[in-house]
Amino acid sequence: MREGKTEYTFKSYKKLFENLYPQLCVFAYKYLNDLELSKDLVQEVFLKVWEDKITFQSENHETGFFYKAVKNKCLNYLKSKRYKATERYELTDLEDYDTEEFHISEAVVVETTAVIENAINTLPEKAAKVIRLSIEDYTNNEIANELSISVNTVKDHKKVAYRKLRNLLSFLTIR
Amino acid sequence: MGNFDKIRPISKKIAASLIKGEGAVDMENPEIFDEEAKGQLLTDIKKGARLDLLNQIDAEQDWKALERHLKPARKASKFWVYGAAASMVILIALGIVLSKMDEEQELEFNTPRIINNNIEVGTDKATLTLDDGSEVTLEKGQVYKSKTSSSNGEEIVYQSTTDTPVSHDQIVFNTLTIPRGGQFYMVLSDGTRVWLNSETQLKYPVAFVKGQIREVELIYGEAYFDVSPSTDHNGARFKVANASQNVEVLGTEFNIKAYKGEANVYTTLVEGKVNVQVGDESKVLVPNEQLNLNLDTQNLTVNLVDIYNETSWKEGVFSFEGMSLKDIMKVLSRWYDMNVTIENSIDAEERFIGTFKKNSSIEDILIAIHSTNFINSYEVNDKSLTIK
Repeated sequence: MREGKTEYTFKSYKKLFENLYPQLCVFAYKYLNDLELSKDLVQEVFLKVWEDKITFQSENHETGFFYKAVKNKCLNYLKSKRYKATERYELTDLEDYDTEEFHISEAVVVETTAVIENAINTLPEKAAKVIRLSIEDYTNNEIANELSISVNTVKDHKKVAYRKLRNLLSFLTIR
Repeated sequence: MGNFDKIRPISKKIAASLIKGEGAVDMENPEIFDEEAKGQLLTDIKKGARLDLLNQIDAEQDWKALERHLKPARKASKFWVYGAAASMVILIALGIVLSKMDEEQELEFNTPRIINNNIEVGTDKATLTLDDGSEVTLEKGQVYKSKTSSSNGEEIVYQSTTDTPVSHDQIVFNTLTIPRGGQFYMVLSDGTRVWLNSETQLKYPVAFVKGQIREVELIYGEAYFDVSPSTDHNGARFKVANASQNVEVLGTEFNIKAYKGEANVYTTLVEGKVNVQVGDESKVLVPNEQLNLNLDTQNLTVNLVDIYNETSWKEGVFSFEGMSLKDIMKVLSRWYDMNVTIENSIDAEERFIGTFKKNSSIEDILIAIHSTNFINSYEVNDKSLTIK
């Protein structure tokens, strides 16, 4: 039950940071509308988790924890006197921000964007372009037109991409 | 609530669907989003609406800035509340709030009300009931001494004596009762050490019959036993009886939690080996295992647990890991001797993780729980606490 609950080392924590930090900053931005502030608050969360030697049962638990922590940190900030003094949001706006649906959908948007981006970045340039357009709902014909290549070449690029991204795509068949 | 830990799986799934160009995306958790939100979400992802921002962040550079502040970490002593596994909501708490922005973090709405706080931190205290029914109050500053035992008001120690009874009818029993808001430590005449938690009653012989099974009775409550080995007592086993079960050991450390009015009895083994007898059934536990006896169904289940969480109470620390708000309040109500009401608007099953010292004031703990944003407010009036 508690397997995998090992404490972080500098090395493992760095890896976690690189995997999560960019998305968490973007997630925080949705609340704070200020990227530098978002970075600061996210770093404070990382600092706190380190200092308190928090451990997690699984990667999903860990990811969820960080998102929730950043969310709470942002909401606390928005409720703080310092922030209210600037009167950028009315309190009613804050209520809209503090719903489960808002938090999770934003987290999923950010996280999915990052997953896709990381995946695409492993692809050859042409294949990457094809996949980007495909995600934007372009048909094979439209992609062919856009990139001035043949439809068959589009299909070939897709095949290359799927082979390369097998690990990610197999996620669908595991479950 | 509480689906934050599914972010990764859902995201990977959506990402895979989009890359594969599959039209429909099964989000697994449709109840989180309505159709409109789902549509917006997919549009945002497809358009790469967050991509510009994402590319503006240099994780490597910011890591260097952060790394300088990371000291070799130490064990948390502050209260820190968050949920644990799959179905639990994760909440952040005091730690962060206190760390950087404390004076500015005061929440202005739902200000907690403290009307007349008579809730006090628990102390070492107990009532000793002698064989003849007479009672002695043991508390700080009260010295008690008898032929068989002595107490400084914080613990009671029974002398190991050569004057042992020769048969069971000659056994003289004493009972130690720990009230709500109390705790106590004792050493039995065989050298077995016992830590007793709030609202606990233990009945035990002043001296054990030589060479025969050493038996005590946990009438109710929670106690931690560090049993002196059988080899020091002519092989005599040690037994803790309870209305619901018997625990037999040779010499070992374990914790039994058998509170009145609770549906479960928990036996947690720290060291050695114990045999727990429930009716006709018996279970042998190895260290780190906890036997959960459900009193309604008589069902027995064995789980691996974190010993620290289960036994830290005797070290002056409460450590809750994934414990529901309701159960946390039960533990606190015993130590602070208070009545707790959780209003219906609050989900009492929500799980927290937190550690704090037992000498914290109730207000410190409430501030910590409040700062998770999970509860809206609280009110203390006399010896009652209402969570709102």
